[in-house]
Amino acid sequence: MVEIKIALVGQPNVGKSHLINSISGATLHVGNFSGVTVEKKEVEFERDGYRLKLIDLPGTYSLHPYTPEERVTKEFLLNGEYDLILNVVDSNQLQKNLTFSWQIADLNKPMVIAFNMYDEYSKRGGEIDTEKFFKLTNIRAQNVSAKENFGLEELFKKVIKTYQEQNKPRIYYSEIIEEEIENVREKIKDCRFDKRFVAIRLLEDDEDIYKIVHEKPWFVELLPQLNESKQIIKNEYDEDDLKEIFFEERLALSKGIISQVAKIAKRETLSEKIDKILIHPVLGLPIFLFVMWLLFQATFNLGAAPMDYIASVFDSISNFVGKFLPDGILKDAIINGVIPAIGAVVMFLPNILILFLGINLMEQTGYMARAAYVMDGILKRFGLQGRAFIPLVSGFGCSVPAYMAARTLKNPKDRLITMLIIGFMSCGARLPIYVLLVSAFFAPEVQGNVMFAIYIGGALVGLIVAKILRIVLFKGEPEPFVMELPKYRFPKIKALLFDLWIKTKTYLKKAGVFIALASLAVWFLSSFPRENIVKEYSLKIAHVKSEVKKEELKEEMRKKILENSYIARIGKIMEPITKPLDLSWREDVALLSGLAAKETVVSTMAVLYGGNSSNSKKLIEIIRNSLPFTAAVAMIIVVMFYSPCVAAMSTFYAEVPQWVWRIFYTIYPNVFAYFAALLAVSLIKLFS
Amino acid sequence: MRLNKLNIGESGIITKIHAKEPLKSKLLSMGFARGERVKVLKHTLAKNTFDIDINGVNVALRDEEAREIEVMKES
Repeated sequence: MVEIKIALVGQPNVGKSHLINSISGATLHVGNFSGVTVEKKEVEFERDGYRLKLIDLPGTYSLHPYTPEERVTKEFLLNGEYDLILNVVDSNQLQKNLTFSWQIADLNKPMVIAFNMYDEYSKRGGEIDTEKFFKLTNIRAQNVSAKENFGLEELFKKVIKTYQEQNKPRIYYSEIIEEEIENVREKIKDCRFDKRFVAIRLLEDDEDIYKIVHEKPWFVELLPQLNESKQIIKNEYDEDDLKEIFFEERLALSKGIISQVAKIAKRETLSEKIDKILIHPVLGLPIFLFVMWLLFQATFNLGAAPMDYIASVFDSISNFVGKFLPDGILKDAIINGVIPAIGAVVMFLPNILILFLGINLMEQTGYMARAAYVMDGILKRFGLQGRAFIPLVSGFGCSVPAYMAARTLKNPKDRLITMLIIGFMSCGARLPIYVLLVSAFFAPEVQGNVMFAIYIGGALVGLIVAKILRIVLFKGEPEPFVMELPKYRFPKIKALLFDLWIKTKTYLKKAGVFIALASLAVWFLSSFPRENIVKEYSLKIAHVKSEVKKEELKEEMRKKILENSYIARIGKIMEPITKPLDLSWREDVALLSGLAAKETVVSTMAVLYGGNSSNSKKLIEIIRNSLPFTAAVAMIIVVMFYSPCVAAMSTFYAEVPQWVWRIFYTIYPNVFAYFAALLAVSLIKLFS
Repeated sequence: MRLNKLNIGESGIITKIHAKEPLKSKLLSMGFARGERVKVLKHTLAKNTFDIDINGVNVALRDEEAREIEVMKES
């Protein structure tokens, strides 16, 4: 069967993913474009004896790329393998969209245009005559609505026909420009691109094309002609910027063709009406904060219920499996190492699913862009972008979904800075540590204020660090902020669920492996070496009769194992370093075990100080008597800023491929936490 | 005058884009070209961010970017 490879190209928000989801009988494959973390979707299906393969390219405003995603699209259009271009256009924004279509048409490949969202357009009285459009441009076009599912089959028929006839666009610019295109084209010899395309791109100062051709032997002869042609155009248009001349040329072309083929629809006013309230200068911010509050209530309250359930399911799986395995290292490794490690991966799924459902909903309805608009003014002061707000606030719940939420930031620098400070937003799992230490060392009347200060302080420090990172590490011009506010649209359930499914899969595949392995490693470090201790205690346990005594001995054994484990040895090595913070090796071990999960800090301290973790009153007593006040403060501060748990770190590694940033991310929060704690301890000592 | 000097509800015709590359290409691709009509739909309280209508497309710009667009105010 003949396969037709189709590059699916369009500007952002034209409903390309809707279109992909609406094709019946299609199989979908999701991967990455080589070398970059940009999602690549491929859809395959059969029609009329052909196998059609659609490759969804990232939304692009122009062939002069601006974001890394746009670069990926251009790179693919220039060097990728494909037979035909399918350009998706939003019928409601013909002028802006078609101006990009002419740029792609220049590639001189077989091309088809889909006028998407035609349902909305025709409802407001708009019409597009695709036959006339074809006569004028030699591009077959079809009015479709991916949402209402009409026109798609006709579209694929036109795609196949265009492929059979190898039908290429015929777009002509004004006479002066065409003359110079021809003059330049004549000097171009062998080249893997279409000569006319190269001539056009050279004339409009496309540096990527320049780089490709300037090493060719014939370039020397071309250059004088190119410069002359550019000068002629500049003189004719009385303008020095060739990109602008070509842009205006294409804009004029769009206007001309639209006036011939389209009946213009009435203005859409619903979005404007909604925006009057949602991004109102005064009300916009409180409304946004309320939406956020709802989202996080849902994520972390609704998400908490299945979390307990999942934990108990994995507990019972452990118990169940434990019955069938003989006692020994293998059994211990499986029921205390492997199963909880897998549990740790599944544990975060409810949070991730709910948060992402919310984020997808915001993206699809068009509210996300408004949220960025509302928050931008505030976050700009800290060198961040409006969209950074969502990942940052998610960080208060759990860093794992927060790192994934940072994908909503398109600019890599913005995204990285945001991700580097997410850890400073104290996550939910750190709450028990704060509660323990604050209730042990602060008077009841101020406890609430101290807790508040911890959370707000962490966030503020994070924002200041963001500013410093922006100035020190990402020098240069601040990133410009030009963002389309798409029309409000009703979300499509199928698309929502589908996206959720993809996110879940990537999380389980990428972060899941990291999380499971890391949890296993921490378990190993905190339970070995143990042979002698186990031997000694199993004898003792066998000798005593009373059940209570047996339990006590088991507790003691656990304490001994932990005290003697590799992690304790590391803690003891660290003791001299943390001495200035008044922390002993016990706290070091507790903090180290907090790398597995922040919840374990409290239980580790309970084991090490001989308290029982189930009796918190007693534990508070013991901690109060064993630790100096300075140590408690130091510990709080370290917990606020040091590395998050391995699950979170794994997610960061999965999201950021560059080793430099992974290493930086692994080291700097700990250094920062150390010096922040040192400063606090010194200040307390100075004033008391 | 520059686009950031317009008030809510006011409109103008673009006469020049002062921005340098790559911002200029970005603005052009969004439809900000000479002769086009722009209208300020909204701005935030501190006039940090603007919501601009250009040919039926809503675009959010910061003050810094809006400053790069020269307009002739329509009365």
